[in-house]
Amino acid sequence: MSENTQDIVYALQCAQNVCFAARASGLYRSTDGGRSWEFAYTSLALTDSLPTTSVVISPDFATDRTVFAGVSGGVLYSLDGGDSWQIVELGTPPSTVSALVISPDFGRDGVLLAGTMEDGVFRSGNRGYNWAAWNFGLLDLSIFTLAISPDFAADETLFAGVESGIFRSTNGGRAWREIMLPVGYEPVLSLALSPAYAQDGTLFAGTESQGVLRSTDRGATWTQAATPDGPVNSLLLAPDFPTRPYILALLEHALLLSQDAGQTWREYPTGLKDMSAVLAPAGLAPGAPLIIGTTRGDVVSLVLPTQ
Amino acid sequence: MTKKKPAWQKPGVVFQPRLAQAWQQGIDQIVNAIAPTLGPLPRLTLYDPSVSKGKLPEVLDSGGTIARRIIQIKGRDRDVGAMLLRHMLWQMQEEVGDGTATAAVLFQAVYREGVRYLTSGGNAMRLRGYLEEGLRVILAELATMRRHLEGKESLAKLAYSICYDEPLAKMMGEIFDIIGAYGRLELRSANGREIEREYVEGMYWDSTLLSRTMINNPQQQRAELENLAVVATDLEIEDPQDMVPLLTLCIKADIEKLLIIARKLADPVLALFALNREKGRLKLEMVGAKTPGTSVDDQRMALTDIAVLTGGRPLFQAAGDTMRHIRPEHLGRARRAWVNRNFVSIVGGRGDPRALRQHIAALRALFARSTDARERATLQERIGKLMGGSATLYLPGMTQLEQEFNKEVAQRTVNAMRGAMRDGVVPGGGVALLACRERLRAYFADAGEPEARAAGHMLCDALEAPLRTLLHNAGFEPGAILADIRAAGPGYGFDVRAGRLVNMAEAGIFDAATVLETAVHSAISTAALALTTDVMVHRRDAGDAMMTGKP
Repeated sequence: MSENTQDIVYALQCAQNVCFAARASGLYRSTDGGRSWEFAYTSLALTDSLPTTSVVISPDFATDRTVFAGVSGGVLYSLDGGDSWQIVELGTPPSTVSALVISPDFGRDGVLLAGTMEDGVFRSGNRGYNWAAWNFGLLDLSIFTLAISPDFAADETLFAGVESGIFRSTNGGRAWREIMLPVGYEPVLSLALSPAYAQDGTLFAGTESQGVLRSTDRGATWTQAATPDGPVNSLLLAPDFPTRPYILALLEHALLLSQDAGQTWREYPTGLKDMSAVLAPAGLAPGAPLIIGTTRGDVVSLVLPTQ
Repeated sequence: MTKKKPAWQKPGVVFQPRLAQAWQQGIDQIVNAIAPTLGPLPRLTLYDPSVSKGKLPEVLDSGGTIARRIIQIKGRDRDVGAMLLRHMLWQMQEEVGDGTATAAVLFQAVYREGVRYLTSGGNAMRLRGYLEEGLRVILAELATMRRHLEGKESLAKLAYSICYDEPLAKMMGEIFDIIGAYGRLELRSANGREIEREYVEGMYWDSTLLSRTMINNPQQQRAELENLAVVATDLEIEDPQDMVPLLTLCIKADIEKLLIIARKLADPVLALFALNREKGRLKLEMVGAKTPGTSVDDQRMALTDIAVLTGGRPLFQAAGDTMRHIRPEHLGRARRAWVNRNFVSIVGGRGDPRALRQHIAALRALFARSTDARERATLQERIGKLMGGSATLYLPGMTQLEQEFNKEVAQRTVNAMRGAMRDGVVPGGGVALLACRERLRAYFADAGEPEARAAGHMLCDALEAPLRTLLHNAGFEPGAILADIRAAGPGYGFDVRAGRLVNMAEAGIFDAATVLETAVHSAISTAALALTTDVMVHRRDAGDAMMTGKP
């Protein structure tokens, strides 16, 4: 990600037409699917900006209205859809939360994980009220991204993209094991697991300088997908992948779409430069809406081409 | 005039068939003491240390330990045979920690049939060659059955197949799922009824604070630092002047917290430092920890590991380094560290993660190559420390006897679990060995030489022996059950606890592959070697038995 801009959009999340944008200047909320945005920390009456580096919404947002936001030193949570916030600190010295993932079965297990830039992964098993560092086997504590298995309740699988490659946990983030990437393909900036991961074992990794990597055996072996060079800031898979094998890859200056599980890619002109985050709230079908954040703090709504 | 020697000092030469008969008797005595411990429904052996006054009896369920306790058996010739087997079992216990009862039973079966064949006129050297060929076939077949286990439930089942203790197995499953094959696990006895565990974040080494005045957390009696620089050395810092370059470096680099790991910080050094801080001339907060390790080698290894972890470079006395030559690249960095009277711990070392991964990979490769038990233990510990955390398992026991027994069972389980996680597992309950017989029969099917055919038959029969013993120990009649297993097909075995035929993989009944392979290898190669021994020369008699493993 670019470092010479002022208000990077780090992450975007949407549920039930309510969207959140985590930005260097704080967290922003939209209640109309991304058309208009408001500052979400108004209730905190902050005197200074509170850089927010990640955001995640509960899978049961319609009923629990729960949102988590990662900041330097802790995790903020809201139980009313972003109207009011509480903070839980992660301990000292403060760590910057770079990634948040939430269990698809959050309503039952209350599991939430926070990746940090300095101290590895923190895990909460009680809906974010308490956190503890779980870094057994995690030999690289600079977490760039986390990905959680859609079948987490059964397989407890997580992946962490780090400066030196990828680590995998198969016990809900309590311990991590190295995954062997081809030499020179690290750091890993983004990860995406197939919605049918339990069956097809497929995942994609976006690297800083070697494009997108694909594994179809749960990370044991990797092949390179033919993407242009450049840091892959975000990867999105179609919700019905692999039936519809669409993948969206966000590079700093390009938005790429593959319709064949990463075999070939086509650049989708956005007219935007310095893109840092992307969200496809309705999937990747032709004509579906896209929300794109930039390193200048802009959040723009577009639609995917119909062909 | 020469003085007459006592009988036990007389030299003697023993030939066949007396040698084989005597060895067979000695081997049988040891095996009969160990065989009852095989399987999930074993019987125990009580060791009476009556020669050592004040020592409590010991309850034993490990073949290796029972063999170690039998230091001599009655009868000079028999004793040699028994000690040959004892040495093999001891070595195996040291190497893989389990599987000694299987090895003992296999050894006995091969040796007994071998002796019978040789008595009828077979050639020992040719037989040995074919037994070793058969061994290679068995090991190759076992390799095809290997698989790796993941998840706490699978690991708990594996642990159960080693220790046959449900609460311990459940805990081991959870712990090994977290710490992995190389992770650090400390076993401690505790007075109580419940088994407990604790996980600690970070890497820590045996050490101590170099001055109690550095304690800044009086509640926990330890010194803590955050966002610190680390200097690691085996130097003794006596002269305050030696510290000047380091302090200058810290001031220039804006370092406010410093951990010095050194063999000594002399009082004048500490006094100078305290004085400067008191007068406000120095903002630096410094904590000193003693260099971990007692020997030069231990210290070198610990300092190297700390340097890789923190991204610094250690200063070694042997390399001619001094504190006056310190440069920025010698300083490591870490997120947090603490030192108390027993340990120094570093959390979040800021070394290059790629270098750390390569360093651990190199240590693992060394571990895989090493055959020296002590070196392997050291490497295991070093890798475990670098993995980012440790676990402590508190083992209950109301009496010392119970505590010692529980700790021994746990230690044996830990050793076997590590091997199983590193090298995989095979179907348990003797089924993997049974499955090798088909390949063995095919291999020797067209054998022309009688020794080859004999070796094939011998090994096929011997591979049944562990399962027969396991069933016998559990109170079942082996003949009928073996027939049922054959009829059920590949992968099926007998769960003696449930008392029924099951698919071993589905039931989670596994053996550690390395343990089984080592047992097979040790038993067959040692028995083959023993069968080629024709003459025994005694230098002196070992005297009467001190303890026997009478069945």
